[in-house]
Amino acid sequence: MATAKSVHRVQGVDHTAFPTFDPAGTVKFYRDVLKFPVVHSICAAGWGPQKHPDFIHFFFDIGNDDRIAFFYYFGLEPYRDAGAPGDAWAQFTPDVPEFFLNSRHLAIHVEDEEDLLEYRRRLDESDWPVEMQVMHETIESIYTHDPNGYMIELTRALRPVTPQEDLDAALTIDALCEVAQGEAPSMDKLLTRKAELIVQRAAAWELAQLNESVADSKLVQS
Amino acid sequence: MTARIYVLEVPENEGVVDVAARDSQVTIDKVGPYFRITADDELIIDRRATGCRHAVWYSAIAGLEDSIIVQQDKDALRVTRR
Repeated sequence: MATAKSVHRVQGVDHTAFPTFDPAGTVKFYRDVLKFPVVHSICAAGWGPQKHPDFIHFFFDIGNDDRIAFFYYFGLEPYRDAGAPGDAWAQFTPDVPEFFLNSRHLAIHVEDEEDLLEYRRRLDESDWPVEMQVMHETIESIYTHDPNGYMIELTRALRPVTPQEDLDAALTIDALCEVAQGEAPSMDKLLTRKAELIVQRAAAWELAQLNESVADSKLVQS
Repeated sequence: MTARIYVLEVPENEGVVDVAARDSQVTIDKVGPYFRITADDELIIDRRATGCRHAVWYSAIAGLEDSIIVQQDKDALRVTRR
C-alpha cells in the first residue's frame, strides 16, 4: 500500500545560480581554492524570443548533492563600473535584459513529477502563479518570482546523472578558462578547443572507467 | 571537405546521432564517451526529425573539429569545413 506523502516535500537546494563575467576567476575560486568538484556543464547556443547570447552554464558540487551554478554569456560586458560596490548582479541600467535579471535564482529540489505538479498547483492557486514550466536537458522545472522579486525554481531530475557528464564538464571548464582569457571569447572557439581536449583525453578517461569497474567487480567477487 | 562534430553519449542526444547516421555520406565512431560524427561534405541535421526539445537541441554539440556551425536554429543544424 502506498504511503501518503507529507505536505512538506521539498528536499533542499538543487542549485543556486549566478551570472559571472569572470569564469576563469570563478573556477579558480570554487574548483581550485575550495576544491569543489565540477559536476555539470551546458554549452548552449543562444535562442528564444530575446536576443539571447550563447552561454555556458556550469555547476560545482557544494555537498549533499547540492550545487552552485554560474552562467557565462559570450560577448556580454558588465552592466556597471568595475569599481562600484555590490556584486556582479546587483546594479542595473534600464536596458539590462530579462534573462540576466532572472539568471540569479534559487532552485529547490523535489523528488518526482507528482511533487513538482503539487507545487505547481499550490503556486497556481496563489498570488504567485507559475510563470514557466520548462523541460531542460536533464531536469524539469517550474518558476515564479516571490513577493520580493526573487526568482524561485522548483525542479525534479528527469534521469540520474551519468559519469561521462562529469568528464564533459571538466573538458568544458578547461576550454572555457582558456578561451575566456583570450581574445574575443566565443562559443565557436570554445567548441573548437573542447574538440581538441576530447581527442586528447576522452579515450583515456573511458579506459580508466573500465579498469575501475573491473577492479570493483573483482572486489565484489573476492 | 569533411565536417566533424562531437556529441556526448547521453539519452537526450540519441535523436541527433540517429538522424545523422541516416545520411550515407556521414560516418560515426566513438572517442571515449563521445560520438564523432564526420560528414564527407556538409553535415546537415533536421531538428524535427531528431525529436529533440529546444533545450537539448541547442546544447547537443560538445566539440567542433576544423569545422564551423553555419546554421543552428529551430529547423536545422548545418556544419561545414572551417
